Amino acid sequence: MKPGFSRRRILGNLAGTLGAIATFAVAKKAKAAVQKVLVTSDAPKGYDPHQHQWLMAIDVDRCIGCGHCVEACKRENHVPEEPWYFRTWIERYVITKPAPGSAQSRGEVFVFSPNGGMRKPGEGQPKEPPVDLPPKEEVQHSFFVPKLCNLCHHSPCAQVCPVGATFDAPDGTVLVDPKYCIGCGFCIQACPYGCRFLNPITKTAEKCTLCYHRITRGLKPACVEVCPTQARIFGDMKQAAPDDPIRQFFQNHRVQCLKPHLGTEPRVLYAGLDKEVR
Amino acid sequence: MRPFRMPPQILRLVLLTVGIVTSYLIARFFLTPASFGELGWFRANALMEIASAKPVYAGKKACDECHSEEYQKLSQAEHKSLSCEACHGPGAEHADNPDIHKMTILTFSHCVRCHEADPSRPKWHKQINPKTHYPGQVCTECHVPHQPNEVP
Amino acid sequence: MTNTVTNIVVEMIPHFEGYVYPNEATQQPLWSILIVLYPYITGLVAGAFIMASLVRVFNVKALEPVYRLSMLTAFAFLLCAPLPLLFHLGHPERCYEVMITPHLTSPMAIFGFVYAWYLMAVLLLELWFDYRRDLVRWADTTPGFRGLLYRLFTVGVTDLSEPAIRLDATIGHVLSVVGIPSAFLLHGYVGFIFGSVKANPWWGNVLMPIIFIMSAMVSGIALCVFNYMVLSWVRRRTVDMRCLDVMGMFLFYALVVDAAIEALDWVHRVYSAEEGFQLMQYMAREKLFYTLNLGQALLGTLVPLVLLGGLQLIRKRFSELVRRRLYFVSALLILVGVLAMRWNVVIGGQLFSKSLRGVMSYKMEFAGLEGWFMGGVLLALPFVVLTVLITLFLSEKLPSAGHPEPKPAPV
Repeated sequence: MKPGFSRRRILGNLAGTLGAIATFAVAKKAKAAVQKVLVTSDAPKGYDPHQHQWLMAIDVDRCIGCGHCVEACKRENHVPEEPWYFRTWIERYVITKPAPGSAQSRGEVFVFSPNGGMRKPGEGQPKEPPVDLPPKEEVQHSFFVPKLCNLCHHSPCAQVCPVGATFDAPDGTVLVDPKYCIGCGFCIQACPYGCRFLNPITKTAEKCTLCYHRITRGLKPACVEVCPTQARIFGDMKQAAPDDPIRQFFQNHRVQCLKPHLGTEPRVLYAGLDKEVR
Repeated sequence: MRPFRMPPQILRLVLLTVGIVTSYLIARFFLTPASFGELGWFRANALMEIASAKPVYAGKKACDECHSEEYQKLSQAEHKSLSCEACHGPGAEHADNPDIHKMTILTFSHCVRCHEADPSRPKWHKQINPKTHYPGQVCTECHVPHQPNEVP
Repeated sequence: MTNTVTNIVVEMIPHFEGYVYPNEATQQPLWSILIVLYPYITGLVAGAFIMASLVRVFNVKALEPVYRLSMLTAFAFLLCAPLPLLFHLGHPERCYEVMITPHLTSPMAIFGFVYAWYLMAVLLLELWFDYRRDLVRWADTTPGFRGLLYRLFTVGVTDLSEPAIRLDATIGHVLSVVGIPSAFLLHGYVGFIFGSVKANPWWGNVLMPIIFIMSAMVSGIALCVFNYMVLSWVRRRTVDMRCLDVMGMFLFYALVVDAAIEALDWVHRVYSAEEGFQLMQYMAREKLFYTLNLGQALLGTLVPLVLLGGLQLIRKRFSELVRRRLYFVSALLILVGVLAMRWNVVIGGQLFSKSLRGVMSYKMEFAGLEGWFMGGVLLALPFVVLTVLITLFLSEKLPSAGHPEPKPAPV
């Protein structure tokens, strides 16, 4: 044996190390418990995610494109005003009549979403950037489509997150954990509906949370709250009675989803869509 | 039969490997956040952390507590589907401290936002062209926002 | 439009034509030049390693002179590979999460493990077993800090007996064999990151990992040619023409396979003309014109194919000098072409909207974490690291025992 090494010393060192590890482990559990108490003091009490299955549905025929929802969402969730980031937005579709004499069924399709469709008070249509709408006589169909996270059954965004920062919550929402997200942007690339963005201030991914902090307190999402025409229908599929608006919606409307060929099985369904809507 | 002697390269490398793997496992134990994996591959605490943000909009029922008169009027006519905050703006601060945080009383500019004629708006929605529909006058001279079927 | 967050007035007019989703109308694509460089660098690593393993696994003796240089090249570039990723993350201080809670459904999650495996279990180990004899010798004879480094690298193992040397050779051989699929995994998963994104029709197809691996091999071999010729020129030594000819041959055939698969991708897209094809065609024509047609296709593929193919067919006609020039030019063109290919894949996929109705622009800045300057620094850094490694391990001043042979050479 080399001088300086003795069996006793080695065993002592080993025991010391194991003891330190055990102490740290206990301390870690204690810290976690304290953290949980402190953080959740503001959270709604007694909310069990397994008791709910939140869902939003869109009635395209009822949307008047006022942009109240876009503004309310930005205010409610402190989304950066500029540059153009939106958790929800409105798209305007304008389909013109076919040129006279042509054998086409439809003319051209134009899609706009100036400033996400958000109109400032005092504005009719957003002025910036200027939008050239075709004149009224040339229009065959024109409508607004609200867009948001499609709450996919098989979320491609949650599938590709490398660390588990974005996930399908048990209550039907798809959330981002802002304390854990590393800001790689893979989920933003993977979302086929363009509903995610990288928040330039927090440098984490962000998206519609169905106003999680509201629905867990029995409130409605901000966009649903301010919609003047009930174009957005919100409900809890686990607890909705047959006369609940969301059940009535599915009872009364035939519905479509966006990009069905991708297999994401979006749960947000639209009534009154057109083939041109992506 | 020569007794098997572990070649020195292998021994050192095996020790190094064991050391690296052990440190990784220990680090993983300490660095995995609390509540991770309880509900799925994420921090279960995140749900409540996200839910603990303070609402900015109070919700229509909150207005009924103090403003039941206007609330009743609203439910009589076409604007019954509207939320107070759609026109008056976010109200959670006002609901908590009505004297300190005041809400806005609105003028003409707000009506135009929903009621300006737009070819993409559905036909059943009442729309006017602000340039030709009594230009220069304020909407509230002829319309009562809380009960549109009444005259002021 | 002003950005009130930083109190600096910044022109932020989004550049796009047609319709793009509002969240896509950003000045810079989300995955910028840094994410172009990362696949490029790991591709060079994988390719250089495959070339080195041609010596060990397939016994291509002609490539012996370039074996150690290829391994050191792979090592230098691998050390620098995580840097673009770190700089790109929104929260680089949280990067450890990918090793602690890797989400196994995500191709990006295996980065930590594949990188660690490749760095430690493949590259470092193979280098160590190859260099062990020399390290022990140099540790004894070199004074000062450098000697300390060599002693450190020997990990305390100083056995230079016959059985030990033979064991070194055997293990080295095994590691080379294991290293080939590991290299494919190291770069293939990057291709799969793009190939798995079904939301993006430019990226999400099954050929993407194959294309990435093949172009990686091509770029790796080209880098070895380039490094070998530059090193020989710096040291004023003559290149081993046979080695260069064999490298050129492998480069040519790898390029043929790579070009064939990329052509297949292109032909399939044009033929099946799926949804979004017209938009992607417009995007490729307008936004990627120079990098695609000029950079990748013409300069990066066609010209080297002609040059290298010509050299294969009528090698005897060309003098050594002309052959050397042609190999060098081809290698350089291929290196530029593969970088252009990475650009076209990564940036191209972000220049059109997922609404399939609009295209965006990318105006690269000069300064900043995602600008030209940083890109240049990150490209130059591996060469700096390689220079240090060559000084330490491939120096002409230090006698080298050469590679351990499986059988002892006849005396």
